[in-house]
Parts: sequence; C-alpha cells; structure tokens
Amino acid sequence: MLSHAPSAPSAPSAPAQLDVAAGLLALLRDTTTEPRPDIQLEALTLAVAADLPVLLWGEPGIGKTAALTQLAASLDLPLTTVIASVHEPSDFSGLPIVGDDPAEQGVPMAPPDWAVRLVRAGRGLLFLDELSTAPPAVQAALLRLVLERRIGALRLPPEVRIVAAANPRSSAADGWELSPPLANRFVHLQWTHDHDVVVRGLGGTWPRATLPRLDPERLPEAVDFARRAVCGLLAARPKLVHRLPSGETRRGGPWPSPRSWEMTLCLIAFATAAGSSRDVLSLLVRGTVGDGPGLELLASLDRMDLPDPEALLADPAAAVLPERGDLRQAVLDGVVEAVRGRPEKSRWDAAWALLARALETGAPDLVVVPASTLAALRREGWEVPAAIDRLAGAVALSRRADRAAARSGVPVTAGR
Amino acid sequence: MTAVTLDLDKLYSARLHAVRVRPYLATALFALHVVESRRVPTMAVDRHWRCYVSPGFVDRTPVEELAAVWVHEVSHLLRDHHGRGDRAAREHGLTGPGERLRMNIAADFEINDDAYGDGLVRPEGAVQPKAVGLREGELMEEYLTQFGLGPRTQHMAWLDCGSGADGLEREWDLGPDGAHGLSEQERDAVRFRVAQGITGRPGNTPSGWKRWAQEVYHPPQPWRELLGAAVRSATSGSGAGDDYTYSRPSRRSAGVPGAVLPSLRRRPPRVSVVIDTSGSVSDAELGSALLEVTAISRAVGGRRDLVTVVPCDASARIAHPLCRAEGIPLLGGGGTDLRTGFATALRSAPRPDVIVVLTDGQTPWPGTRPPCRTVVGLFPRTGRRRSWDEDGDYVPDAPPAWARVVEIG
Repeated sequence: MLSHAPSAPSAPSAPAQLDVAAGLLALLRDTTTEPRPDIQLEALTLAVAADLPVLLWGEPGIGKTAALTQLAASLDLPLTTVIASVHEPSDFSGLPIVGDDPAEQGVPMAPPDWAVRLVRAGRGLLFLDELSTAPPAVQAALLRLVLERRIGALRLPPEVRIVAAANPRSSAADGWELSPPLANRFVHLQWTHDHDVVVRGLGGTWPRATLPRLDPERLPEAVDFARRAVCGLLAARPKLVHRLPSGETRRGGPWPSPRSWEMTLCLIAFATAAGSSRDVLSLLVRGTVGDGPGLELLASLDRMDLPDPEALLADPAAAVLPERGDLRQAVLDGVVEAVRGRPEKSRWDAAWALLARALETGAPDLVVVPASTLAALRREGWEVPAAIDRLAGAVALSRRADRAAARSGVPVTAGR
Repeated sequence: MTAVTLDLDKLYSARLHAVRVRPYLATALFALHVVESRRVPTMAVDRHWRCYVSPGFVDRTPVEELAAVWVHEVSHLLRDHHGRGDRAAREHGLTGPGERLRMNIAADFEINDDAYGDGLVRPEGAVQPKAVGLREGELMEEYLTQFGLGPRTQHMAWLDCGSGADGLEREWDLGPDGAHGLSEQERDAVRFRVAQGITGRPGNTPSGWKRWAQEVYHPPQPWRELLGAAVRSATSGSGAGDDYTYSRPSRRSAGVPGAVLPSLRRRPPRVSVVIDTSGSVSDAELGSALLEVTAISRAVGGRRDLVTVVPCDASARIAHPLCRAEGIPLLGGGGTDLRTGFATALRSAPRPDVIVVLTDGQTPWPGTRPPCRTVVGLFPRTGRRRSWDEDGDYVPDAPPAWARVVEIG
C-alpha cells in the first residue's frame, strides 16, 4: 500500500519537469484535420474576396479568430488582429505629435506601429475583434478605419482586407448597436458553432474547409447573371429598392438600399464565379439586404433557373420539366399564363401537349389546376386537341377530390 | 396479409383536395416528395421534406381524411418542429424516445387546434390539447412544459410523424444524401413563399397560420432583451456612461509631451423612469418592467440614487429617487397625460440622460423632442393582444418617432 502513497520527490530538476509538460502539450496539440464543407467560412471568404466590409456577429469563444486564421492562410495574407476594446481612440485616429512649430507646421497624427507595418507590407487581413465592447469613441474611430480605410494620416492599401467582429446585442455588455446607415455598409454574417464540429475537434480532428476558388473562365457569365438577377427582381418589385428598418427587433441589422443592392450584385457575381452553393449565397444575400428582400431575391433566382415558358411551348415534345412538384407547378402555371397573354390555337395545343407530358412524368394533381385554367382559355372554333385524351387520369383525380370535398362539406366550385 | 400497392391516385386526389381547401399551402404540399414505405405506421415526414407513406394506411383511409393528414404533415415542416424540437431538447436536456414522443405530441397539439374544419375533416385519432386538459392556441414549447406521459396520453403512444416532427432520426429516413431532399435554402424558400402567400392574402386564413407567417422570418424577441438593449444603448451613448473626455489628461500624455489626449472617464447615466399609473396598466406588469429598468441601469453603471421614478397619470407627481422605490405611491387611475410626466422628469436637477417611459400608449405625447434620449416600454392594452389597429372606436397616437419603442409582454 505504501508504494501507492506519493513517494518523496527524488529532487527532479525544474527544466526536466517543464520538458515533460512540453511533451504533454505536444500530445495535446497533435490534432489532425479532415475536409468538411463549411458554408459560413465559404461565405466569409467570398465577401472578403469581394472587398466588402464584413461584420461577424457571434458569441465570444466560438471560433471566430480560428476561422480568420484559416481564411488568412488560404488567401495567403498576413493576419493582424486588433482587439478594439483595449485601444484608445487615438490609436485609430492617430496620436498627435507636437513638432517644433505647431502653429506653422500643424500637428501630424501619427499612426500606431501595426498600421505602419500593414501599410509597408502592402497586403494583409486586418481583424478588428471585440468591436462591441469598445467604448463609443473607440468605435467611432474604428468605423472611420473600416469605411474610409484611414488610420491617422495613413491610408490602407487596397490589398488590405478588413473583417470586424461583434457580440450580439443581447449579450453585449454595453449594448452597442449600429445605426442604420452604418449597418447598411456591412455584410452581416451570423457566426455560430456546429456542435458536431466542436466535439470532433476536441477529440482531435478539426475540420479543414475547402475554400472557393474563382474560375477565370466564368467571370463575364457571373457578372451577367448577377445583373440579370438583381435588376430582374428590382424591376418587378420597386418597393424593395430602399426600405429603412422599422421596429426595435430589426435595428442594427441589414436592410435594402441601392448601396446594399450593389453589394449584393457583387456577391452574387463572386458566388457564381466560384461555383458556390445556394446555401452560401443565401447567407451572403440575407446578410446584406436582410431576410425578406434576400429571400425574395433567392426565390427569383430559383425562377430564373426554371425553363422559359416560350421555349417549352415552342417544342413541347422535348420539354424537360423540373422534378420538384412546386417548381413544376410554377412552370405549368407560367405556360398557361403565356398562352393567356397571347392566345393562339397552336400555342394552346402546345400547352395541352405539355400538360400531357407533365402527367406522364410526374404527380397528376399538379396538372389539374393548369388544365382547367387552360380549358377556360378556349376560343370559339378551336377544336379539342387529341392530347387531351391523355389527361383522363387528371380528370378522374379531380372528380375524386370533388367527391371528397362534397363529403367534407365544401361546395364544389366550378373551374378549379 | 397480402401487401397492398400504394394507391398513388388516391394519395394525389387527397393532395388536390387539400390544395383546394388550403390554397396558401399549395407550394409546400407540392414540394413534398412521396416515398413509399412499409415501415411507417401512417404517414411521416423527414426534415428534408420527404413524405413517407404506408400503402396500407392509404388503402384503409378515406380521401378526405388523407387530405387532412397531408396538411398535418406539411404543417410540421413549415413550422420547423424538428429544429425547434432539437433546440428544446438541448435547452432542457430532454433525451430519449419518450421525450421525442412528447415533442411529437406537443407539436401535434400546436397544429391540430386550428388545422381542421372549413373543408378539412378531423382525422380519426388527431390528438387535441383538450384531451389532456390543456388550453388551445399555444406553441409546442409551451405545451412541452405542461404535460407528461401517463395514462391520459396512453392512446397517443402510437403517434409517429417522423423525424420532421420531432427531430429524431428514424430507421426509414433516407437522410440528407438521399434523393429528392430539399436543401436548407430550398426549405427556406418554400417557407418564405407560403408565408408571403398568407400575408399577401390573409382572407379567412386561420389566425394560427397568420401568426406563423408574421413571425417565421421575424421571430419576436423577448422584450426584456430589447428593452435592455434600448436602455443600454441610450445610457452608453455620447454624453453618458463610459467615454473619452478631454476634461482630464490621459495617462499617456507623459509619452507625448505637448499633446492633449483624452482620457477614459465614467459619468454614470441618470435615468428617469416615467410610469403611467392610469387604470389600464396592471400592477404586475408595472412591477416587472420597473424591476427590469432598474436592473439594466444598474448593470450599465447607474447608481441606485441616479434612477428616479415619476408616477404619472393626468398630472405628474413629484419625482422619487429609487432608493425609496418600495414606498413610491403609484397613485392614479383615470386618464393619462404623459406630457406632464416628461416635464416633471426634465425639471428635476440634475437633468436625466435618459427617460424611460412605461405606458400603454393611451396618452398624448410631447410635441417636441425632449433634450435627452427616450425609450418607451409599451404595454399591450388590456383585454387584447397587440391588436390596436383592429379596434375601430379609439386609436391613440402612436409614440413619436424620436422615441425608441419596445413592446412589452
């Protein structure tokens, strides 16, 4: 039993103990990485590549700095982290240096050393951390840095990219929030941690995100796509161009204005050129113009992907309809609307052929409403096309639904 | 028992019926992808918007009931019951299949209280909050805290709406990589289109769906946080709280001889709380809001003696420092005129940095902007839930634009 009691120390020398500790630390730091898609990091990368000011909103300690380190490594930029809350405003607006004759020569505002180094390097990633716990005067000085890229008399070169981080309003100790004009200049990204990633990382395997690469071949196409997407939506929905946030809940967040739409256009082009997924684009767009307008833009992008009704009417036999029911229904509705817009016998026939094709390749209930609308568009002298026989299944289905409606006490409305 | 084949025509007829009686759900119903499965008891959904259907269930269920089940299942997905279930599980440490069953039941309560009727029959065995003695019209999270599994929920034990309803993966789930699943962005887009359809044409949509459509992309934040943020931002703005001042030299001045640098100084904010003591605000509401304001102002460095309280009805009484708050006579009743409350608060010396007004909004407001920041905590009017635009007879003035307004409760 005595052997288990702590034996008298055999006078180990201090360096030996520290060596053991170093060994233990080395074991702890011995982690591997595995590739894992990370849409947050991908969105951040695209926004930084697009040279738009990004504001990461996230609770302290969830890996914002780690993400920035990875981003800097992948963009091959040296990372400079500035903890805003431990600085004074003069660190960002410049320290006054009194010369021999201030009245004659003025008082130059000297920049801090990190800024000088950054300007000398000519490129780098500047990370302004803890923006929300800095006193208001420091924040005011920082915003000039973010928006005008000026520190005292220095101007940051264009190859320097700036990312800021702030704690959410609810957990910020002194509740800083952005005024609407400032909020409008940022791409707001909500930074959250993924439970699985954290657990697996602590177990020794951290994720390694594969970051998007811009494809030089796709640049003109990307710009064209982005312009069509934004202009198409804003032409149809003029009210979305400018909408100041109203209400307390939406303060400090993104909102639509011509400036933020321009940022959106830029981000769509970058995401397209990088071949990023819609999930990444969704984060970026919603973080720039807000949830409502952002989702409308994404919905209209989905519709841009749908086949053109005129092309379908021109060649119904070769039509490829979307697999997903709701999109397919949107296409069929679009075709019927196109016929309504320019009713001609040949177009009407082509629409019937298209409906018959839809019935053969997918769920029949989708066809019922477009078919009845199309039937109502019939003009005098138009003969019922042969294709309509193939719609018998849909008619039977519709009758069956009518009977169910009658049993559940709904008056059957004609025409639907 | 011979295996029945899935009667797709019957299933789609039911969906057509559901779309006809609930046109605003059409996008969502059509977005569901049907998967035949013999392992699900009835119909079930997963979080990727696949709908698993038992052929036997379709065979023995009438079309109109199937339509109701369609609507029920799609409601789970639209209302994000799996995501909310996961969050509830994390927050309250709920684990195990029993708890997931409770989530499924609570989610069903949320859906079922206003899903049926108006052309949709109630499916046999649709569980109701009334069955376990609970009120209608609440949310899944609220129901979750109110009942346990027991004899009264015995008949609900067969209930299984799949992982889309409670977040627990089932053995029949095709998972995120399976065919025809919707990505997160696509799910958001479908939800958004449905919500847009409802807010665009509210018509006779049930109130539960209207509320969902309003809140799906702008969930209401807890008023305590909003009020806290408003008061904090008002008290920490320039002129109050921690900031730099040139009134004392900075410690760094020694290093820059000849230059004048500002130093960090704290000037604790003075907060004046004007309380509407007219009859329409209940004591409990006032008490909780007042506690909240004092807690917030203390957190931002306001000392207790810098918070004053001005009870106000038609004529404001004198301002009381908060250290005697326990004894403040919240007299009143009858009409309110907050203008006198503002005047009293501003007359006190030294002048407050922030005025926080707690009121139900039934009052005239000052015509000009007061010379300090103003936060208005607005109580909902008694007897109704934040619906003062629906009331025709008297519409009070809205709080002025220069005040930051937080709705309380």
